[in-house]
This record gives sequence, structure tokens and C-alpha cells, in this order.
Amino acid sequence: MLLSEIIFTSLASLRGNPVRTILTALAIVIGIASVIAMLSIGAGAQKALEEEIQTLGGRILWVGSGQRNRGGVKRDWVPIEIKDATALRNFEDFEWEVSAEMKERRQIQFGNANFNANVGAYWSNFFDVRDFEIEHGRSFSEKEDLARERVVVIGADVPKELKTSYRAMLNNELMINGIPYKVIGVLKSRGSQGWESPDDEVYVPLMTASARIFGSKNLRSIMVKIPNDANVEEAMLYIEGVMRVQHDIGPGQENDFRINDWFQYRDLERQATAIFTALLTGIASISLLVGGIGVMNIMLVSVTERTREIGLRKALGATNKVIMLQFIVEAVLLCVLGGIIGVLFGSLLVYIFSYFASTFGDTDWPFYIPISAILGSLGFAAAVGLFFGIWPARRAAQLDPAVSLRYE
Amino acid sequence: MKLIEVSDLQKHFAIGNQTIKAIKQMSFSINQGEFISIMGPSGSGKTTLMNIIGCLDSPTSGSYSLDNNEVASLTDDELAEIRNKKIGFVFQSFHLLARNTALQNVLLPLSYAGFDKKSAIEKAKLALSRVGLEDRMDHKPSELSGGQQQRVAIARALVNEPSIIFADEPTGNLDSKTGADIMGLFKELHIKGQTIIIITHEKSIADQTERVITVKDGLVESDHRN
Ligand SMILES: Nc1ncnc2c1ncn2[C@@H]1O[C@H](COP(=O)(O)OP(=O)(O)O)[C@@H](O)[C@H]1O
Ligand SMILES: [Mg+2]
Repeated sequence: MLLSEIIFTSLASLRGNPVRTILTALAIVIGIASVIAMLSIGAGAQKALEEEIQTLGGRILWVGSGQRNRGGVKRDWVPIEIKDATALRNFEDFEWEVSAEMKERRQIQFGNANFNANVGAYWSNFFDVRDFEIEHGRSFSEKEDLARERVVVIGADVPKELKTSYRAMLNNELMINGIPYKVIGVLKSRGSQGWESPDDEVYVPLMTASARIFGSKNLRSIMVKIPNDANVEEAMLYIEGVMRVQHDIGPGQENDFRINDWFQYRDLERQATAIFTALLTGIASISLLVGGIGVMNIMLVSVTERTREIGLRKALGATNKVIMLQFIVEAVLLCVLGGIIGVLFGSLLVYIFSYFASTFGDTDWPFYIPISAILGSLGFAAAVGLFFGIWPARRAAQLDPAVSLRYE
Repeated sequence: MKLIEVSDLQKHFAIGNQTIKAIKQMSFSINQGEFISIMGPSGSGKTTLMNIIGCLDSPTSGSYSLDNNEVASLTDDELAEIRNKKIGFVFQSFHLLARNTALQNVLLPLSYAGFDKKSAIEKAKLALSRVGLEDRMDHKPSELSGGQQQRVAIARALVNEPSIIFADEPTGNLDSKTGADIMGLFKELHIKGQTIIIITHEKSIADQTERVITVKDGLVESDHRN
């Protein structure tokens, strides 16, 4: 007997009892939906991270101010300053790029509109380091920075905040604390990235801002971008060395600054998804187990109900193997059918998750379902059907034809 | 030519600690081309006997050879093949698959025999026309009369050109007129050379065959030609 005929017969028998088929497949649907969600959300997290590394073109280490330790007690905050950043930039033993950052909220004014914006101050290399693209106009130069010129680059959403267009702003003056600055460039939109959106920020040359806006040489942070393939631990040791010299910290004394791996924050996020994934794994295993047992149960019922049919088929020449195959195929089809619905349902879950994560969360979460997840979970559904279908199928195959034909 | 040879056949069923001797002792032989009935009251062991000579069941003791082959030595798969190719069954309650059409029911033995779809459908249609149902092929059992359902079952028994057709109380669920039609159909098949064994408790049915083996309480009571 051809497999196609066996499949056809099994489909007809599943169709013959649609309510039972659907109810039996339900747990498989939930299980496979969880498997799809689990695999896809994990893969999505990985992809989001990879994309981030890709756009950054490197890995960012972050140096921030810390507290000095005196007599075993942490005291006064020690700022990091422009000269610290300069020292790191001038360090030649490691191939890194250094970007200094000052950032505070300031009142911005353009025409009659105003808005409380993040004013960030950076060296001219900043846009390269962060891989921010200028969409209109240009970025500021090192010369303009050193000359403390009053020029700014604005984030893509700044014109909107000021109820105007980038066209109106470009090459015109906007006021920061009542002092005019010429808008020379507009950034390409980045989308929300964490709590501070780069699209809402106003970018001023570091020296200009230090002298004219903040009146200080203290930095909020120093970003050190190291190549993707560089050794992070080694880079951190070098940074520590330079900073200790800068801050004149003797042997045995503790650091008064902090070095963070920016990706560690991403790691936290990853841990959150890991917990979520573990939860889904739990749901998936329980529902697939329950679903599998349900399939086994229904198949046993079906074998009993169809005892006479089995007897007849044997009388007509069906071998034990063919009978067994028929019931296994039926169990596998039942699970694969549940699996297909589960894949669709799971994809919907992943879509909803990525929508909410992207809309309300920190990161852009791609809607991404790997083909391997679809094939893998359907394969798994089939395996569940096979595993839980074998026993009922064996019972069917081993029925005595004479006794089965008598069965009422 | 001897088709079936049964000697000292016994079949016991154990129910709890009780043994039912459904067949106490039976010996007889049947030749190819015979139209024969096995007659006896209910519970006399007829169906049990048919199951054994139809290779659906094995005897407790004694020997049974079909076409000069001892059946006891055959494996499950070989028995399945014999049932498929050499034997056709017709049952009292028709035993058609309710979800399938007449044609699909008749196709079943052919698909187990491994025929390709096209030649199987041809053979099945031919069998259905032999029982006069060429215009009912796409009907489901529920859309057919009892007599028509039994004709489908006969077509199914015929389709693989078996050596023997067993019919266990084939008219038991039919009115007398329809029953007579079915017996007429068996006679027709017999005239064309088909070996047919009718199992019945009715003398009027047995009288229509050429030879009657009467069984009672698991024993052969008489064996005579009409
Ligand atoms: N599988 C079985 N298990 C136990 N007893 C059986 C079985 N099959 C038949 N019998 C018994 O064997 C006897 C003969 O049954 P059967 O061959 O069906 O008679 P008939 O077909 O002549 O009415 C009956 O008493 C019946 O109850
Ligand atoms: Mg009987």
C-alpha cells in the first residue's frame, strides 16, 4: 500500500471527527507556538545585538566618574575631564577611538518656539565613532571645535520639537541659553535607543560647549570604541592604566573612576530574554508532553472504536505493518497539523512581542522567525506524534483479526 | 483438485478458567469449483470454522492445508497475503467502510495488493459491474439499500480474483426477496467457476448449493450432495 493512500486515509479519518481532532491538537498548538516564540525571540535578541554591533562598527567601553576612597570610606566624586580624554586619545599602544561627552538639558529656542533639549558636546570625531550619519548639511570640524565656533548639528526630530522643518533651520541660527548658534547639519534619524533619543539631541563642538554653555572642563563620560575583534579585557586594562596615571593613583590605591562595557547593559537585556525564553521552554515542554499524552489517549480510543474496521482491513489483506503505519501516520499528521497552526499562532505572538518591544522598549526588535525554527518545530511535532503514536499503533497492529471482526 | 483439506480440526477458547470447545472434531475436504454450504444452528461453530479456513484464525490442533500448503507453518505476513489474494470474505453485516464510496470500498483489497491506482480502478469498476452496481460506484454505504451494500461487499470479495469466496450468513440481514437475488448472484459466479462456501443456519439457503456440510456442537453431522 502506498504511503500517499495511507496519508489520504488518515486525513479522512481526522476530518471525520473534526471537533475531537481540534481539541486533541490544541495542546500541540500551544506547545509549538511556544517553541516558535522561544526560538524566534532568542534569535531576534541575538540579531538585534548583532545589528547593533554592526552599526557601531565596534564595541564601546565607557569611562565615567567615580568616588575617591579615603580611609576606607568612599567620598567625593572625582570628575573626569577633557584632559583625561585627550590622554586616552593620545595613547598609541591600542587601536581605539576616543570620544569625549558632555551632556545636559538646556533651553533651545528657534523663532518663537522653544524646547528643553539634551545638549551634547563632542569632539568632531563623534559622528564617526557612533556611526551617526549626517543627512543634510555637514558635521563640524576639529578646527571649528578648537576655535570654539558657535555651530551645531541637530538630531532628526529637533525641527519637529520646535514646530518647524529642517529646511527652515539649516544654515540659520538657533538659540541656546540666549546665545545664537548656526545649524550646519541635520542627523539622519536613528530611532529610539534607550532613554536618551539621539534624534532629540543638539550636538555642539566640545570646546565651544565647554567655554560657552557649560563653563566646565568636566565630562559626563568618555567613550572608547575598540574594534570588534579586539580583546576587551586587555583594552580595559590599558584604559585603567592611562586613567590611573592621569588621576595620579598610587599602587594599592583604588580607582576613582569606572570603566563599563556598554554591552553589559545589553547583556542584562539578554538575561531578561533568557528568563522569558526559559519560561517559554517550560510552557512548550509541558504542553507538548500533555499534548502527546492526549494524542496517545485519543489514538487508543480510536483503535478501540475502529476494532471492527481493523479486523476487516486485516481480512482484506492488510499486514500488521500497514495497520501500524496507518495509525502512526494518523498520530503524526494530527501533531503536524497542530504544529502548523502552532507555527502561525507562534508567529503572531512573536510579531506582537517585537511590536511592543520596539514601540515601548529601548531597542528596535526585529520581527524575525528563522526558517530553522519553523522546520525544527514541525519536525518536533512530528516526533511527538511518532513517539506517542507508536504504542496505540502497535496495539492496533497486534489485534487478532477473528476477534476484531466479532467486536461489537 | 483438492483446495481445502481439514483433518481432526479442533478449536478451543479459554474464557477465564472455562474452555469452550467451539470445534470438537472436524474433517472434510473441498474441491476447486465447488458451491458448498456449511449449515448448522447458531453457536455450532460455523464462524469459528470459517475463520480458520479463511486464515483469520489458527486451530488449537489438527491440520489444515490450502492448495496443498499447511497453513500452520505460515507467518502473519504470509497469511495476510493469502487473505488478500486467495480469499474473499462476505459478512452478514456487510462490513463496508462507512466513510468510503462503493468504489473506494472495492479498491481496498487492491491497494493492499499493491496495484497501481489506474489498473486498480479499472478492476474495481469491472467487479462492481459484475454485481450490477456500475451506476452506484460513487455512493456511500448509507446511500445504498441492504442488498446493494451486500453486492458491494461481494464485488470487494471478487475483485482480487480469489480461489475461494466465504460468505458468512450473507442473507441474514436481508429480506427474502433480496436474499434470493444475492443467492442468484452467487450461483452465477459459481457457474463461471468460482469456488464459493456459504455459511448459514437456514436450510432453504443450504438447499440452493450443490453440497451441504451440516455441523452441530462442533462436530460434522452430515455431508451430502443435493
Ligand atoms: N473469540 C472467542 N472467544 C470465546 N468464545 C468464542 C469465540 N469465538 C466463538 N466463541 C464461541 O464458540 C462457539 C461457536 O461460535 P461461532 O463459531 O460464532 O458459532 P456460529 O457462527 O455457528 O454461530 C460459541 O459458543 C461462541 O460463544
Ligand atoms: Mg456465526
